[in-house]
Amino acid sequence: MIKKIIAAYISAACIMSGMLAVTAYAEPYEVYNYDRWNDPIPSQAGYTAERSVSGNNLGAGKMNSPSDIFYGADGLFYIVDSGNNRIIAVDENFTKAVKIYDSFIMPDGSETSLKTPMGIFISADNNMYIADSENSRVLVSDTDGNIIKEITKPESEIFDQKRTFTPLRVIADKAGNVYVVLNNITTGVAMFAPDGEFMGFYGANRVQPTSEIISDHLAGLFMSEEKRARRVRNVPSGVTSFDIDGDFIFTCTSSSTQTTDTVKKLNAAGNNIFANMELNFGDYTPVYDTTRNKLLAPSIVDIDIAEDGNINCLDFTTGRIFQYDEDCNLLFITGTIAKQVGGFDHAAALESHGDKLYVADSMKNTVTIFTETDFGAVVHKASALHNGGYYDEALEPWREVLRRDGNYRRANLGVALALLRQGDYQGAMKYAKLANAGSVYDKAFEGYRMELIRENFGTFVLAAAIIAAAAAIIRRKLKKQGDSRSKKY
Amino acid sequence: MTELKPLEWLKHAITHPFEGFEDMRWKKAGSLKIAFFIVFLLFISQIAEERLYGFQFYISYDKIFNIVPFIMKSVVIFAAWTIGNRAVCTFLDGEGTLRNICIYSAYAFVPYIAQSFINTLLSHILIRDEFVFMEAIRITGVCWTIMLLFSAVKAVHQYSFKQTIFAAIFTVAAMLIMLFLLVLFMSLIQQIYLFISTVYMEISYRLRS
Repeated sequence: MIKKIIAAYISAACIMSGMLAVTAYAEPYEVYNYDRWNDPIPSQAGYTAERSVSGNNLGAGKMNSPSDIFYGADGLFYIVDSGNNRIIAVDENFTKAVKIYDSFIMPDGSETSLKTPMGIFISADNNMYIADSENSRVLVSDTDGNIIKEITKPESEIFDQKRTFTPLRVIADKAGNVYVVLNNITTGVAMFAPDGEFMGFYGANRVQPTSEIISDHLAGLFMSEEKRARRVRNVPSGVTSFDIDGDFIFTCTSSSTQTTDTVKKLNAAGNNIFANMELNFGDYTPVYDTTRNKLLAPSIVDIDIAEDGNINCLDFTTGRIFQYDEDCNLLFITGTIAKQVGGFDHAAALESHGDKLYVADSMKNTVTIFTETDFGAVVHKASALHNGGYYDEALEPWREVLRRDGNYRRANLGVALALLRQGDYQGAMKYAKLANAGSVYDKAFEGYRMELIRENFGTFVLAAAIIAAAAAIIRRKLKKQGDSRSKKY
Repeated sequence: MTELKPLEWLKHAITHPFEGFEDMRWKKAGSLKIAFFIVFLLFISQIAEERLYGFQFYISYDKIFNIVPFIMKSVVIFAAWTIGNRAVCTFLDGEGTLRNICIYSAYAFVPYIAQSFINTLLSHILIRDEFVFMEAIRITGVCWTIMLLFSAVKAVHQYSFKQTIFAAIFTVAAMLIMLFLLVLFMSLIQQIYLFISTVYMEISYRLRS
C-alpha cells in the first residue's frame, strides 16, 4: 500500500517536473507580432526569459533602483546602482560582481563619491563616462576609478543658466566628444568637446504638428504681448536616452503624448535619417488595459543598438522590448508587465550582447536576461545576411522562418527581395503581396511585364492588328448605316 | 435632330456637354431604367476601385468586406444629390421634376464611372512610374462629369449660368444638412432602442426575482 502511494507520489512528481520543464520555456504573456495590415497576431517568441539576477545573486548586496546597464569593450557589464550611489561591474556570464565602484579619486588626490548616478558609458579605450545626476556633473574615469576629467554646468550663452544641469545619460563617440542627456532640457543633447568644452546642443526633437498647435499659433497672431507671454509654450519633448552605433547616434523619447521623433537616427551633423520615413515604434494602436482602465501609449525609455545593427527599444508602459532590424522592420516583441521572470515592474534600461538581452528593472531591482530562441536565431541569421547585402544567401533562412511562422511579415519581405534579385518576378510578386510591400511588388511587376512582352511580342502585335482591323470594319459599317439613315430623312 | 434610341440619347448627352441635355429636355427623352443602371454601375465601380486595384498602386484591407460604405459612397450620395437638388430648386424657380433630375444627373456620372473602370484595368498593366497616365484619365473623367452635371442642372431647371452655380452650392449644403439629420436620426433611434431595451430588461429582472 505504502509502496503504491510512494509510486503514485513519484509519478505525480515526475509529471509535475515535466510540466515545470515545459513552463520554463513558455513566456508569462502571449507572444505576438504584427501582420501585414499592422494587426496583432500570435507569433513565436524570439527571446525567452532565462533568469533574473538580483544584487544578492551577484554577491554585491541588494541593488536599489538600477537605472542603466552597459556592456563595455573590456567584456564586463556595468550596472548603475542609483539608489546605492555606486557602479557594479559584473562578469560576462552575469554570475558575480567583479568590481564595485563607490568612490573615485580626483586628479588632485581627493576622494569623491557619486550621488544618484543615472547613466554609464564605456568607450572603446576603456574610459568610464558616468552621468552623476545630483552632483550635476559628468565624470570621465579610467576603470581603476581615477578620474580623468569632470564636466560640469557649462558657462555658455547657449546654455540657459537658470536651468539645472542634471545629466541622465551619457555617451562618447570615437573622437572623444561627449554627449549628455540632460533632465528638463528640450533643445537636444548637450555636446562637449574631448577637452570638456561645451559645443552646443545636438539633435533636438521637432514639435509635433497637431491641430492644437496650429490653432494656438493662429490665435497667437491676435493676442497681446502679455497674453502671449503667459501662454503654454509649445516645446518638443526632450531626449530620454540614446545609444551610439559607429557614426550614428540613436535617440529615443519617452513622451506618451508625442508620436513624432520617438526614435531618431542622427548622423554627425545632427540630422535625423528616419525623419521623412513613415515609421512607427512601439505598439501600433494603444493597448487598452482593462485591469487599469488605461490606454497604454508607448513610451520608449531606452534604446540599444545590437552588434548586428538591430534596434532594440524598451517600452516602459507595456514593459515590452521591440526589436527592429536596420531598416526598422519589426522583428520581435518581448516582455510584459508582470511579476514573473520575463515581466517587468518598472523597466529602466536595456542592453544587448551577443544573443542576449539584458533589462534592468528599477522596482524589482533586478536585471532580467533574455536568450534568443531557435526561432529568434533563424530570424537573426537571415536578417544579418540580408542587411549585409547577401540577399541570395538569406533566401533559405527566410524560407525556414516561414516554415516556422507563416505569418511572419519580415520573412515574406526577405523572400520577395531575394526572388526579385534572382529574377523570379512572379515569385517576388507573390511574396511582396504577402508582405504588403507595394514598392517591391512594383519592381517585380515591372520585370514580369517586361518578360511577358518580350516573350509574347508576336502575339501582342497580332492582337493589335486584329483589333485595328475590326475597328476599321465596324466604323465603315456604322458610316454606311448613318448614310442610309440620313438619306431616309 | 433625329429620333434616337434611349442608349443613343445617352451617348448624345455625354458627348455634347453644352446642348446635349437641352436636346433631351426638348425631346422629353431619357430613361429612368438606364439611370438606375448607371447608379448601380457607380456602386460597382466604387467596389472595383477598392478591391480590384493593382497591388502596386493600392493595398486594400481585404480581411473583411463591408458593403455599407460603398452603398453610402454611391447610392446614398446620389439620392441625397437628387433630392437635395429638387428641394432647393423648387424654391429657386427650377422647372425640373424629380424624375428628370435623377435621369440627367445619372447620365452625367458616366464619364466618372468610365474613368474608374479604366483606371482599375490600367492599374494591372502600368507601374508606379507610369501613374501619370492614370492620373490624367482620372482628372479628365472627374472634370467631364462636373461639366456634365453643371450642364444637367442648367438644362433641367432652365437656369442661367449664375443661377446654376447658386443652385449647385445650395444643393451641396442641402446634402450636408440631410446627411447630418440622417445621422442624428439614426443615433436618436439607437438611443430610444437602448432606452426601451433597458426598461424591458429592468422589468424582466424584477419580475423574475
